[in-house]
This record gives sequence, C-alpha cells and structure tokens, in this order.
Amino acid sequence: MTTNGAVLEVKNVSSGYGEVQILWDVSLNLERGKLTSLVGANGVGKTTLMRTVVGLLKPSKGQVNFNGSDITRISAHAKASQGLVLVPEGRQLFTDMTVFENLEMGAFTGRAKENYKQNLERVFEMFPRLKERRDQKSGTMSGGEQQMLAVARGLMAQPEVLMIDELSLGLAPFLVLDLFEILRRLKDEGLTMLLVEQNVQMALAVSDYAYVLNEGQVELEGPSREVAKNEDVRKAYLGI
Amino acid sequence: MEQLIASLADGLLLGFVYGLAAMGLTLIFGVMDVINLAHGPIIALGMFAMFFISGATGMGLNPYLALVIIAILGLLFGVCIYFIAVHRVLNAPHLSSLLSTFSVNMMIIGVGTAILTTTPRNLVFSIGSISLGPVTLLGTRLVAALIAILVAALLYLFLYRTQPGKAIRAVSNNRAAAELMGIPSTQTLALSFGIGTMLASIAGGLIATFFSFTILAGGVYELKSFVIVVLGGLGNPTGALLGGLILGGLEGIAPVFMPVSWVPVIEFVLFVVILMVRPTGLMGGGR
Ligand SMILES: Nc1ncnc2c1ncn2[C@@H]1O[C@H](COP(=O)(O)OP(=O)(O)O)[C@@H](O)[C@H]1O
Ligand SMILES: [Mg+2]
Repeated sequence: MTTNGAVLEVKNVSSGYGEVQILWDVSLNLERGKLTSLVGANGVGKTTLMRTVVGLLKPSKGQVNFNGSDITRISAHAKASQGLVLVPEGRQLFTDMTVFENLEMGAFTGRAKENYKQNLERVFEMFPRLKERRDQKSGTMSGGEQQMLAVARGLMAQPEVLMIDELSLGLAPFLVLDLFEILRRLKDEGLTMLLVEQNVQMALAVSDYAYVLNEGQVELEGPSREVAKNEDVRKAYLGI
Repeated sequence: MEQLIASLADGLLLGFVYGLAAMGLTLIFGVMDVINLAHGPIIALGMFAMFFISGATGMGLNPYLALVIIAILGLLFGVCIYFIAVHRVLNAPHLSSLLSTFSVNMMIIGVGTAILTTTPRNLVFSIGSISLGPVTLLGTRLVAALIAILVAALLYLFLYRTQPGKAIRAVSNNRAAAELMGIPSTQTLALSFGIGTMLASIAGGLIATFFSFTILAGGVYELKSFVIVVLGGLGNPTGALLGGLILGGLEGIAPVFMPVSWVPVIEFVLFVVILMVRPTGLMGGGR
C-alpha cells in the first residue's frame, strides 16, 4: 500500500500512437472509495490516457501503480484480472453475442467468477432492461441499452477500480440521469471510480476530485467543488 | 435415375467431409482474418498421420481411434504454427499472413516430399457397405460423414456452450474489449488456430480411409475448401457444412452428365459467380 491511500497511481506518463505523442508527463491518483473525474475538451487525450492505464497502449515513459505495485508493463487482460476494469468509449460490446453472453464474458476472470451469481443479480436489478433482453444480440439494442450493458459488463468483472470512458455520450437526457444515479449508488457502495465525461457540469457535481486535461497535460486538479468554481473551467466547459 | 441417386448420395457423404475441412479454414479466417494457405498440407498431414497410426505398415490402430490422436496432434501443430508464423504478422497487412502461411505450406510440402516421396499411399481398410434400395453406400464414407457431422456438432457446442468457446467468439468479435474483460486474447487466438488445423487434419484422416493420397493431395481439398467457404460465407462455420454438401452433391451429379475432368471447371465457375453475385455467401456469412 502507498502512504496516501491511492489505489491507482499514474506517474509522469507519456504516451501516444506510434510516432505521435499525445500525453505529456501526466500524473493522476485515484483515492480508494472515491469517484474521480477526468474532464477536458474533445481530443485532448482522455481516451488515450484510459487506454494507456489499462494496457491497450504502452506508455513511452512513466509508471502505473496499482495497489502499490508496478503494473506498467503487464498486459491488459492481466490488469483486468487484478481488478482494473475499463468500460471503454463507444461501448465496444461483443455485438454478435447476446446480452447474457456479454455479461458472462465480463465475468471471465477468476475474481469475477467467484462473485458471478451476486453480480449477475445485482446488474439485473440495476438494469431491469437487460434482464428482459438477455437473449437478444447486443448489437441490435438501442444506444442507451448498449451503454447500460457496457457498464453492467464492467461490473460483472468485479472491479476494484472501475474506469468509465464517456458514460453519457449521445444518450437521451433521462437515460443520462439514470446512469448518474447508478454511478452515485456505486460510489455509496464504496467502489473506486474514474469517470471521463463530456458533461462537465454533471461530472463535477457527482465526483469527489477532478482532473482537467488539456493538450495531453494535466492543466488543473483539485476537489471537484473547487474545480467547478475555477474561472477558466467555468468559461471553457460550463459556458458561464 | 438410379445411378444419379447413387452418385448424389455418395457425393453428399463426401460433402460432409469437405465441409469439415472447410470449417477449419473458415474458423481461422472468421476469428483472426487470416487465410491459412497451409490448409492443404495440413489435410495431407492428417492423411499421413492416419497412414502411420493405423496403416498395415504403421501401428495398426483402428482408424477411428486414430482420429482422436490425429485431432490432438492437429491441435498442437496448429498452436505451433500460430506462434511461429501467424502471431507476429497478425496486425500487418493481409499479404504478410498470406506469405507466412504460404511459407509453412512450402515447408511442409518440401520436407514431406523429401521424407515421404510422392508415391501414392493408401490405407487398406474396409468396413463393408450397406444398401438402401438402389443406393449402395460404402461403409467408410458413411462413417466419415457421420463423424464429420459429429465433429461439427461438437464444434458448435464448444463455441456456443463453453467458456473457452465463447471466449473465441468474443475475441473474434472485439479483441480489445476481450482483453479489457480479462480474456487472454493471444492464447485464445492460438487455440482457435489449433482448432482450425485440428478440423483440417481430422478431415484428412477421414479422407485417407477411402482415397489414396500423397503429400501433395491436400491441394485439391484446399481448393475445395475455398469454394465451400465462399459458398457458405467467409467466417461462418455452419455455412461451411452446407457449402460442403452443395459441392459434394455437385461432384456426385456432374459426372453423370459430363466427363469427370469438367467437374473442377464447374466448381470454379460457381466460385467466381458466387463471389460476383453474392460475396457474403449463400448463408449470409459471418462477416
Ligand atoms: N488510434 C489512433 N491513432 C492515432 N491518433 C489517434 C488515435 N486515437 C486518437 N488519436 C488522436 O489522439 C488525440 C487524443 O485523442 P483521444 O485520447 O481520443 O481524446 P479524447 O478522448 O480526450 O477526446 C486526438 O488528437 C486523436 O486524433
Ligand atoms: Mg475520448
């Protein structure tokens, strides 16, 4: 364990795609049991950071620590089996498989299998729609239902840290409210989360701590309430 | 008329075995977008494995027991081929994987020709025949067809009812998402390749129970597999069985109306027409 109680520490990470560097020396900590949000305009590197943390991209520099041990170089599937789980941008469901099979695949790792029954009951209770549609091919569902499934699949993995990239992108307002309600509930249950969200106002309202990313660098960080009061943030993201 | 029915029945029985071989090719393509050009030589190796395990000059084991061993060897061989020749070129342009599996093809044929020569071999094996009215079915072909159906059914159950089978479908559907859910995608791909070559080698082993063969014999079946895969839809294992039946049926009927040498011509005309008219295959296709 680290002294500051951070479950996940991203230390001076630089990353990108081939020759193109996108992230420059990014550092970020997730406190246990807290909901942290990562905000910033389109294309500043939020998704790139998520992908680097979970191991789909290899950082050119820096380190990622999970529960105090260095996990920078291990593969994405090994990170998932330690409990570091990403709900990726654009849902990335197994579109040719049924809703139920998607949930089963979410519970692929050993830690997830141990809690399979409870988790399945829990996600069906959180998202009754998914229970109704359990034998439907996931690719044929509406965007909102797909997003629910993406979150549910992530929860089936028994995450210790759940990272969600663009929770509400492209969803109808009432669905956005539902999903944020779920988020609040997960937070109350003590799950550590990192939320990337283009609805900055809602993200700052629900989270404990926030990072503002700009051009691949952390521009600002602090308790969400203070970040929400920051003049620049209000101008740039809250339209005030 | 009677002759027509008899040769149609015979063709259909062979069709199941062709379909099984094609299933191996299409499974690999469906999962990892690789066209395995070593498919034919692997079929031929299945034939030789049968020859050595159950032939009179070999170990003399019952051919249908030998199939179990051939299946295991085929699986292991496929996993080796995956790590040696496929894994590193998976994300490269398609030409790379074509060239690298073609190299495997050349190596098997080269080494095989040197060691086994190209003298035709055959298994002296018969389990009689049964007559249904005008139709007489050779026992070995009937059993081969039944085994092909059984293996296809097992493949289906594996892919749709078991955890590793579903993992293969997940990786095939979205590899990055599978990794995010903790599925080791590299091992899963290796397993898929192994199963693909396993199916091809089982088909080879079955064919060896009724046809003679050389190390080059796989080429013909590889071409048939391509036709079948296009008929059934690339990447669609169930379609492959149907495609096999169509091709087998055609091979059964055509010689009644024309010289046998025209059969491959008909097959490839069909191949080209399907590609032009319905490139996703008659059954829609996996992708
Ligand atoms: N696969 C990729 N290859 C090359 N560049 C990419 C790729 N994906 C994203 N980028 C670039 O990286 C930058 C950051 O993108 P991204 O991390 O998706 O931003 P965000 O999630 O904050 O909108 C963008 O300029 C984008 O064009
Ligand atoms: Mg993004």
